[in-house]
Amino acid sequence: MPPVIAPDKCLSCGECADVCPSDVFFGSKKGEIPVVAYPNECWHCNACVSACPHEGSIKLRIPLPLMVLYQESS
Amino acid sequence: MKDIISKEKHIETDVLCIGGGIAGLMAAIRAAECGSRVVIAEKSNILYSGSGGLGNDHFRCYIPEVHGNDIEPLIDEFQRGQQGGLRPRSFILAWLERSYEIMKLWDRWGIPMRYQGRYEFAGHALPGHILMSLHYAGAHQKKILTEQAVKRGVEILNRVMCFDLFSNGRAIGGATAINQKDGEILMIESKSVVLGTGGVMRLYPASTPARMFNTRLSPTCVGDGRAMAYRAGAELASMEIPLIRCGPKFFARAGKATWAGVLRDPTGRPVGPFVTKPDNKYGDPVVDIYQDIFVDYKKSGKGPIYMDCDGLSDDELEYMLHWLRNEGNTSFLNYLEEEQIDIRKNPIEFHTYENELFPRGGVYYNEEGKTSLDGLYAAGDEFFGGISGAAVFGWIAGENAAEYSKTHDSMNRASFESQFPETREIMRGLQGRREGPNWEEGNVAIQQIMWDYAGLVRSETLLNAGLQALGRIREKAYHTMVAKNPHELMRALEVLNLIEIGELIFITARERKETRGKHIRVDYPFTNPILEKLLIVKKVEGKPVLEWREMKKMKNK
Repeated sequence: MPPVIAPDKCLSCGECADVCPSDVFFGSKKGEIPVVAYPNECWHCNACVSACPHEGSIKLRIPLPLMVLYQESS
Repeated sequence: MKDIISKEKHIETDVLCIGGGIAGLMAAIRAAECGSRVVIAEKSNILYSGSGGLGNDHFRCYIPEVHGNDIEPLIDEFQRGQQGGLRPRSFILAWLERSYEIMKLWDRWGIPMRYQGRYEFAGHALPGHILMSLHYAGAHQKKILTEQAVKRGVEILNRVMCFDLFSNGRAIGGATAINQKDGEILMIESKSVVLGTGGVMRLYPASTPARMFNTRLSPTCVGDGRAMAYRAGAELASMEIPLIRCGPKFFARAGKATWAGVLRDPTGRPVGPFVTKPDNKYGDPVVDIYQDIFVDYKKSGKGPIYMDCDGLSDDELEYMLHWLRNEGNTSFLNYLEEEQIDIRKNPIEFHTYENELFPRGGVYYNEEGKTSLDGLYAAGDEFFGGISGAAVFGWIAGENAAEYSKTHDSMNRASFESQFPETREIMRGLQGRREGPNWEEGNVAIQQIMWDYAGLVRSETLLNAGLQALGRIREKAYHTMVAKNPHELMRALEVLNLIEIGELIFITARERKETRGKHIRVDYPFTNPILEKLLIVKKVEGKPVLEWREMKKMKNK
């Protein structure tokens, strides 16, 4: 579930739902905590995080298949 | 099930911009400046939409005080590069000539085109060659351009997807669209139309098959403009030549040219001949010219390949991160931080997103932004051109579309309305059915066929088989696909567009009986100089018609 909203911090302003390029929050209602209706359509672009007026209310959780591969430091 | 298409609305304007990315916004700003009423129909939200939605950091540009007064060497260099080969010289000349003026305009509007007061060129070049990519801080470019559009009275319709153009066979008079919020159908009547819907993602599988929106460029760009232009009778070109790029494996992101590190094998040996230590000016260009290296290393037991940034000083690292952030890679960088992956200590595996082919070509617009149909203009990645291409040709297309709208009347209303029932029937069909495949099934089915039959191995027999299979998917999609709300209706219409584009790739790939770039015909394994021509496709009486056309190569002074 890529965007994760902290219900205790969310202001229910709907900014994230409004700006999401993929409209993953489709069907969310103004004045309520947005619902991630289409998590698989997330591009992990960070638009929701950058539009959120209250820091810490929303963050991206990068799904395991997108895990970045790297060499351990020697 | 509730009928989600309950309402219809009619809008009239002079210039309709389909897509509010860099190209669409620049076209809208210019057309409004020229006195036109302008509407932008944007499928997402204009503040973050398109492949420039979260920012960019390279702007291809000719600056006389940096490059000198002779533009010719830049055109030569450009034609050798990835974006140049499919365009005539006159087109590249127009692009580079206008790039300076557009760059200054952006700077004036508040998009920082200078770094610490100077023009900073880096990336997208071989060591010793001409640098043409200007580093700029584009993180807030969409917001700034949107403000400029609003200031000039442009009307922006967010979450509105245009599906079909109105055409009388010669000229364009507007488009049908759906409002993705409530399913309302819009008929937008316009004297001219500028297409700026971007590239074609989601036609081929992502490098993470279970995550199809994990694409290098914006996954909402699926070639809507190419599909609607084709259906309306416009010429498309070079659909058979695919583009392929690389980046961090599995987390698909653009911006390779911003990475300063050296590409090394697991033992630390550089895989290319160009650099042995990190270089913020050129990066490691080996993979730009030898993209098969990732696969070749794997096959020969020497892989994988890593981007190694060890050796960057603190300042050099901050410099690189600054540009990666402006390129819109903040979520990627945040992830590295959370996972405690240290760019300098942990070389990051890179790979080509080789499944993610997309056509370099598309709607064939000329140096005036004109397509082959009157009143239809196009810009940006409707035919691959990157950010600077989008900015420059968006501007030019907007100017010419405005001029056209001044001298032409709206299309005859009866002719306009006569085309509407077909589109309405498609939309009603999709939302009226109760059972059937949804858009996602359709999209996955297309990707499987495209990769297996028109991927990196192509032959006459494979292409014929794939085209037949895609035809069956088309039948299923048009007659059985289900959309349970306006959002899914939009995705289902995207699937219909992807089928259109997929078929054109099969048809043009079959016609190009040679190997050229990543168009690899195993039954014609060599590049045939005689076929150094553009392959044009357009719809005539319901069928695709192909034409080979000489690319003008003469020098323009």
